[in-house]
Amino acid sequence: MAPVAGVGMSCLTVRSRVRRGLRSAAFGIGMLVSVHNAAAVAHAQQQHVLIITGLGGEATYRDAFFGVAVLLHDVAKGKWNVADSSLIVLTEDAARDPKRFDGRATKEAVAEAFLKLARRAKPGDVVFVFLHGHGSGQGPESRVNLPGADPSAADYATWLSGFAQQTVVFVNAASASGDFARVLAGPRRVVLTATKSSVERNDTRFATYFVRGLSSGEADTNKDSKVSVLEAFSYAQREVVREYETDNRMLTEHAILSDSSLAATVAFGGRAVSSDPKVAALVAERQGLESQVAALRARKDSMTASAYEAELERLLIAIAERTQAIRAAGGTPP
Amino acid sequence: MSTRTLCSAVRHIVTSGSTGRWSTFRRALSIPACAMLLGAWCVDDVDRSSILAMAEAGQLEDAERAARAGGSPLVTTLGDVLVLRGRLRAADSAYEAAISGNAPLRRVADVGRAELSARRGDMADAFARAQRLVGAYERSSGDWTPEERVAAGRAYVLLGLRDARTARQALAAFDAAWAADRTLFDSQVRAGELLLEKYNAPDAKTSFEQILTVSEAHPRALLGLARVQEFEGSPEAMATVRKSLAANPALTPAHTMLARLQLEAEAYDSADVAVNRALAVDSSSMEAWALRAASAWFVGDSAKFESSRAAATALHPRPATFYATLAESAVRHRRYAEGVRWAEQAVVLDSGSVRALGVLGTNQLRTGAMEQGRATLERAFAIDPFNLWHKNTLDLLDQMKGFTVIERGRFVLVVSPEDAALMELYLLPMLEEAYDTLASRYAWRPDRPVRFEIFRRHADFSVRSVGLTGLGALGVSFGDVLAMDAPSAREPGSFNWGSTAWHELAHTFTLGSSDNRVPRWFSEGLSVLEERRARDGWGAQASVEFLAAYKAKMLRPVSSLNDGFVRPRYPAEVQFSYYLASLVSEMIEQDFGAASLPAMLRAYRDGFESPAVFARVLKVSGDSLDARFSAYMQKRFGTALAAIEAGEAPGDVRGPFVAAMREGAAQLEAGRKREAQLAFEKAQALWPEHRSASGPAWYLARLALERADTTTALTQLALITRAQETALAANTLEASLLDARGNDTALVKALERIIWMAPYDADLHAKLADAATRIGAHAVAVRERRAVLAIGPSDPLEARYELALALSKSGDAAAARREVLGMLETAPGFEKAQSLLLRLRSGTPPGGAR
Repeated sequence: MAPVAGVGMSCLTVRSRVRRGLRSAAFGIGMLVSVHNAAAVAHAQQQHVLIITGLGGEATYRDAFFGVAVLLHDVAKGKWNVADSSLIVLTEDAARDPKRFDGRATKEAVAEAFLKLARRAKPGDVVFVFLHGHGSGQGPESRVNLPGADPSAADYATWLSGFAQQTVVFVNAASASGDFARVLAGPRRVVLTATKSSVERNDTRFATYFVRGLSSGEADTNKDSKVSVLEAFSYAQREVVREYETDNRMLTEHAILSDSSLAATVAFGGRAVSSDPKVAALVAERQGLESQVAALRARKDSMTASAYEAELERLLIAIAERTQAIRAAGGTPP
Repeated sequence: MSTRTLCSAVRHIVTSGSTGRWSTFRRALSIPACAMLLGAWCVDDVDRSSILAMAEAGQLEDAERAARAGGSPLVTTLGDVLVLRGRLRAADSAYEAAISGNAPLRRVADVGRAELSARRGDMADAFARAQRLVGAYERSSGDWTPEERVAAGRAYVLLGLRDARTARQALAAFDAAWAADRTLFDSQVRAGELLLEKYNAPDAKTSFEQILTVSEAHPRALLGLARVQEFEGSPEAMATVRKSLAANPALTPAHTMLARLQLEAEAYDSADVAVNRALAVDSSSMEAWALRAASAWFVGDSAKFESSRAAATALHPRPATFYATLAESAVRHRRYAEGVRWAEQAVVLDSGSVRALGVLGTNQLRTGAMEQGRATLERAFAIDPFNLWHKNTLDLLDQMKGFTVIERGRFVLVVSPEDAALMELYLLPMLEEAYDTLASRYAWRPDRPVRFEIFRRHADFSVRSVGLTGLGALGVSFGDVLAMDAPSAREPGSFNWGSTAWHELAHTFTLGSSDNRVPRWFSEGLSVLEERRARDGWGAQASVEFLAAYKAKMLRPVSSLNDGFVRPRYPAEVQFSYYLASLVSEMIEQDFGAASLPAMLRAYRDGFESPAVFARVLKVSGDSLDARFSAYMQKRFGTALAAIEAGEAPGDVRGPFVAAMREGAAQLEAGRKREAQLAFEKAQALWPEHRSASGPAWYLARLALERADTTTALTQLALITRAQETALAANTLEASLLDARGNDTALVKALERIIWMAPYDADLHAKLADAATRIGAHAVAVRERRAVLAIGPSDPLEARYELALALSKSGDAAAARREVLGMLETAPGFEKAQSLLLRLRSGTPPGGAR
């Protein structure tokens, strides 16, 4: 399993550790999910994905929830390369797509899925839980409507207690989901909810855009080929507002994010790392140049505009040339 | 007939008046002998209510005679009647006699004296008396009769001139009086008047309607209802105030309201008639003198103006309301700067007058004096926190602090940050083009930059324009200060924001070159005409309903076209009048030459009214112009007019064209497409120039598409899209067909038309950029790529990349390089941008980048 690549990190010390890791690793599989901190890069990090969609109630919602589950499954499997054993999809009707779906989203099945992932996850891994459906209740009793008994926010909090050493990203994209953020809050956890409170009970659009942000390149604001949780959240938030404005409707959902600092460091996607030493050297050079750009930006206020621009252009051209060279050598830029 | 029987008959007559049978009452009082009888025979029987009922019926002389005959018990009533007759000194004496003689209704007399003091400008005495009264009322209100409670309410109203909070107590007193005596209509009339004064039109209306339910022709209730209708912008106000005057021909405030409405309609002679009637009844009416002065000022009669001002000053040494009325009248005639000057005089005379401060502040804002306007309105609001106009406007000004101000030479664009980039991109270049066109046509230029405010919410635009929400307009021009809805303020396709801006800017030139004296019909007509000249398809076009109304003679002749705007007889008349006025302007230009239009504006500037303008500039009479216009209409719309008939009611249309359209719709509904096509083709043959988005061309285009006949569909769609400025669906369909055919030149034109209807679709701009690039219109492509960024695309970096690419293709390598460096500064790993940077550096054309 590949180590974490460091593209986008601002700390040079961390980056050098990553490069050492690159040299010693077994190659082949690219970076999939990265948590940009020193502790997380000390071992081969894995990601685990649990997708739960609830009862639709009517065809429109059944189809919408189905679509979100399918797309997210495909992104996790196809783009993030999540292992089958770490990808669990529970829906209202598992028979609708038995190749993708693992079972019916009952409370028991959900509990079992958490238990399964807890057994598999190692310290430093990332656990991504995506919950979508019709929400209700408030506080610890907030729920998403699943077949059979509906687990409460408190139930999810209990299940998440088994991931104390992992980074957890928990998304509740349902209506009335806001109180989940408070109930599930904890260290090394990012909780995203589609609404800011349990009072926002109208159907939500957050899930559509959040998943689109993860699956397309649109949310990748810095074009580093990875989409961080923060990027996906910001994208979804912006597009939800746009949709409501376009439709001339009052915005009835206000998504929230519990920890934007952590969310900025958890990213999905990325490209495979080449085993060719020549390519690896070029990649390292390019990363070094990118670090110089970051350092230059930090000094911007102390430089004249022309000096800054000249130096910036010099570095950017050098980066572009390294990219060309990496391509020419048959590699993929980071 | 015995004396007793006669008195009984008279009492019956008087009672019929007080209980609402006004027709019986008025008919009976028309018997000359009756008045004599009232005075000579029935003195003992005629009480206060009977006399007041006579006064309410306009029989003031008889009422005064009866009150005098009643001696000291009726001395307060005598004072009340004398006030209505404008005999203020005599009224003062009567009230004084009532107070000193401890007559019945002494408290009513006391408040009457307080009101007279206020009218003379002796506010200290007015407030002292009012304060004493309310003090006594608050100590022992339970002992007060219903009429005395009304007196207490009036005292609170007086105190409200300096402390608006007393309005609630006034209302409570009026309501208490009404609760105690359901026949005391005066309490409800005053409550309604106060509610309306405090901008609560719905409750005011309820008050007046309560009375009218019982007494359907109660003059003051009808007047109150007319005021509510005016407040709500209903065209029925004029008719209602006339009803009020029919019930009481001596109701001075009804005459002054009628005069004001006539002034607004620029019917100065009719306004004078109403003013003179008011003054004949009550020569102490400050409002009447002010309206007389306003009318004189509008027509340039300085002697009459000065005599009115002298009369006002004789009534009140510091006649602030006189100047406030003048200011309001000036503003209603779009003479905003002069309105500000009159209002300033009013404020000098009474710095605490909310009305004067309000009209001053509002119009300072309309003339671009933003900081002064805000300060003035804040002073007004500090005195009267109930004023909805002032509160709304101050709230909006707070909100506008966050607006972006773009200053570009001849324009100052004030726009919300969300729209700033888009407006700068589209609106400014178009306004520059319009400015040059209009300045050349009207040989006039504003002496300072034109301020253009654009609001994302229609309610905000409405507040900016009139202080309240609910204004139906899209834009407004105060001369060189303009305001309009942003495209986001309405549903996409519901209006064309380009033509709206052009229309409002045209007003700047027509108002300016006429020194703000152009009548509304001509200014609006020219603005609509300028819209049509600006771009193909912009501006109003002939509709079925318009032609039906014309044929049914439901539109005004040229000589009274202004009434179509200011005194519409049915809801659609204003809209029809816009188009009608534009046709009149077009006809004048065609028949009398291009120079005739600016020459007319100059004639208005020189103080001439429309008949004189027609005679001096066009050398024709109003009647002759009417005849010419009829001939013009017949020539221009003869075919269509033969195919259209008006139905019974406004909006009900018939005729062969309508029948063919209905036949087509019915056949379509039944699934008989061939028959439907024939019917629509017949309709089109009957009126070939018809271009409505729901007319035959639309149906024929759709039917052609169903036959996969794209050529015919495009031909039919073009008929609509070249003539209808808001045909979003037709343009969108046309664009998709052109796109599929690869006709990029036409596609670019179609997409550009759509942007003036619905500019917020980033995909649309991207599509236009692509098409423009394909035909080598790189400047358009660059603008469109900037538009995508202005809207806030889903993928901003990708949009910046496309912009850099377009800049590069347009030959602006330096701008492209700046854009690329800006992108890579934050996203150095963005590979496409890296490639572009290298190509720009090496001078390699970017053609293969996509």
